[in-house]
Amino acid sequence: MKIYESEAKELLRKSGIRTPLGELAFNPQEVREAAARLGQAVVIKAQTLAKSRGKAGLITFAETPEEAAEVSAGLFGRQHDGERVEALLVEQKVPCNQELYLGVTIDYTEGRPIFLASGKGGVDIEQIADEQPEMIFRVSVEPSRGLTGDQARDLARFLTSSMKGAGPEQEKILTELALRLYEAFTGYDCEMVEVNPLAATNGSFVALDAAMVIDDDALFRHPELIRPRGQSEEEFARESEYRKRGWTYIRMDGDIGILSSGAGITMAILDLLRASGGRPANFLDTAQMDRQGIYDALHIFQGDLTIKTVLIHIFAGLNRCDDLAEGIKDFFTEQRPTFNVVVRMVGNREDEGKEILKSIGLEAIRGLEEAVQKTIQVTREQT
Amino acid sequence: MSIIAFKDTRVLIQGITGSAARHHTKNMLAYGTKIVAGVRPGAGGQEVEGVPVFDNVAEACEAHRIDATILFIPASRVKAAALEALTNGVKLLVIVTEHVPLHDAMQILEEKDRRGATVIGPNTPGMISPPERTLLGFVPSRYFAPGPVGLASRSGTLTYEFASRLTDAGLGQSTCIGVGGDRIVGLRFKEALQLFQADPQTEAVLLVGEIGGTMEEEAAELVASGAVTKPVIAYIAGHTAPEGTKVGHAGAIVAGSRGTIKSKLEAFERAGIKVANRPAEVVDLVRQALG
Repeated sequence: MKIYESEAKELLRKSGIRTPLGELAFNPQEVREAAARLGQAVVIKAQTLAKSRGKAGLITFAETPEEAAEVSAGLFGRQHDGERVEALLVEQKVPCNQELYLGVTIDYTEGRPIFLASGKGGVDIEQIADEQPEMIFRVSVEPSRGLTGDQARDLARFLTSSMKGAGPEQEKILTELALRLYEAFTGYDCEMVEVNPLAATNGSFVALDAAMVIDDDALFRHPELIRPRGQSEEEFARESEYRKRGWTYIRMDGDIGILSSGAGITMAILDLLRASGGRPANFLDTAQMDRQGIYDALHIFQGDLTIKTVLIHIFAGLNRCDDLAEGIKDFFTEQRPTFNVVVRMVGNREDEGKEILKSIGLEAIRGLEEAVQKTIQVTREQT
Repeated sequence: MSIIAFKDTRVLIQGITGSAARHHTKNMLAYGTKIVAGVRPGAGGQEVEGVPVFDNVAEACEAHRIDATILFIPASRVKAAALEALTNGVKLLVIVTEHVPLHDAMQILEEKDRRGATVIGPNTPGMISPPERTLLGFVPSRYFAPGPVGLASRSGTLTYEFASRLTDAGLGQSTCIGVGGDRIVGLRFKEALQLFQADPQTEAVLLVGEIGGTMEEEAAELVASGAVTKPVIAYIAGHTAPEGTKVGHAGAIVAGSRGTIKSKLEAFERAGIKVANRPAEVVDLVRQALG
């Protein structure tokens, strides 16, 4: 889960990392007041989750509160990468001698945290990593020990070596900063935390921008961070409901709904559908299904008239075909489905399940490829 | 032979009193797995399906030789349970639990390395060695049969799908492993390949990958190095998934130039690994490989 810059900075401040003085504002009047309180030139930054805010013109500067209010009026309501700008972070403009980079992320191949530092912050770190790998210092961290004092000092030395006039004092501050950033990384269960740029300013350091992605699976340890971001209350409620059930649901723009358990087989179904010219309407990976679960999941598609067909995929290894068929029957008995249904069903008590489906006029298909072809055919006939 | 799990592997079930654990304990026992003990704090002295329950792993290890443990433990407590098993000297852990926090998984793997143990998962249906009648986890055993094919898969459901197709075609399996769908898992394709290479009964290996992560690339590099001489066949799910989109398994996130479908297919090609473009091609490729 990605969080907003303003939130990431708040968490970094709690970890003892300096950020510019600033306030969140939700309308031009609040922007004016915030700028007046800050009493100097300000930076105004749209709070969106998407990357490249600078290039999209969503970060701007103002000398006076009046100017701040004026430029902010053009930012509120702007659309960027599917998000609507609703909040601006108004911050003191901080003088900057050099832009540094600090980040901690997970090396998934090694299964360990990796701490990255560079004296060339402020630009796309991925590009530097690619073109000038020697400009990036990498430290692999033992999870149980955490970043050690020696490792932090090595990082700090690498950074000061790239800075003009930096001495032992700066090295000490950067060592401490690295340790605190690592603490935030583990303390908030981050997949990634990044300060880019970290401004070197008159001998001290300030996090001008911050990004943080928190592990969804660790949110139970950070319930205070769960809130809607760039989505309606309704979407948020639905997402929370799915998370509780252990479902992953991603809406796409096709006309074939897919109800399936297991990410691997679901991706394989999407591949097969697309290879035959079908357009999937979603990715849905439900956890282990039962009668009630499949009944509930069918409601996702009900009433959505863009969905012409739903392919229900059942490979009952642990659960039972007859139980799931009963769930489909329950749905058909209570509702008039707004879509065609194709069922692929294999597994425990397959024959019993087939009989139940027959009673509601559905013919279960045994082969995966055959079911995909049938789905495409039924959908074409509809149009 | 098989790899990792054998008929004399003596198994512990952590969290044995939960309803899913009870159910799967019964299934595993029926298949032939030697489950010798269970653990559930506060339930010491009870029995589940005739298996004695202990309060903690140390007590279970005192009473029985334990070769492997299967964790039927909620995600929030997996780390503590896995570390408990590792510190008590258990050398094989199967973690079926989904949604284990990444930072917890990293600590488990670190301890596993320190102790020279093997961890399968998290987020795995487990593994099965049909020639040994040994099942660790909850793969549905009826779709598997003994034979020469080694199978390692990141997806549980595709493990069942391909095993049942192989079995229907008369191609049995030596061992099938669900390595787990998470971004951080213990046993990786590369290690599974090394074990299959060393196993005299395995004659060909099927790798079932997914977009995201680097496991497929690592496996391909191992094959390209000449360390694996047995034929390897691969299938990758998610050919058409949009890059960078998180779909289902946390593992399906694409990062950097590795992890993309292109990177995986190119790596397989360089290594001479035959790739099935569709599920229907898998059985034929395996049959050809077996000659």
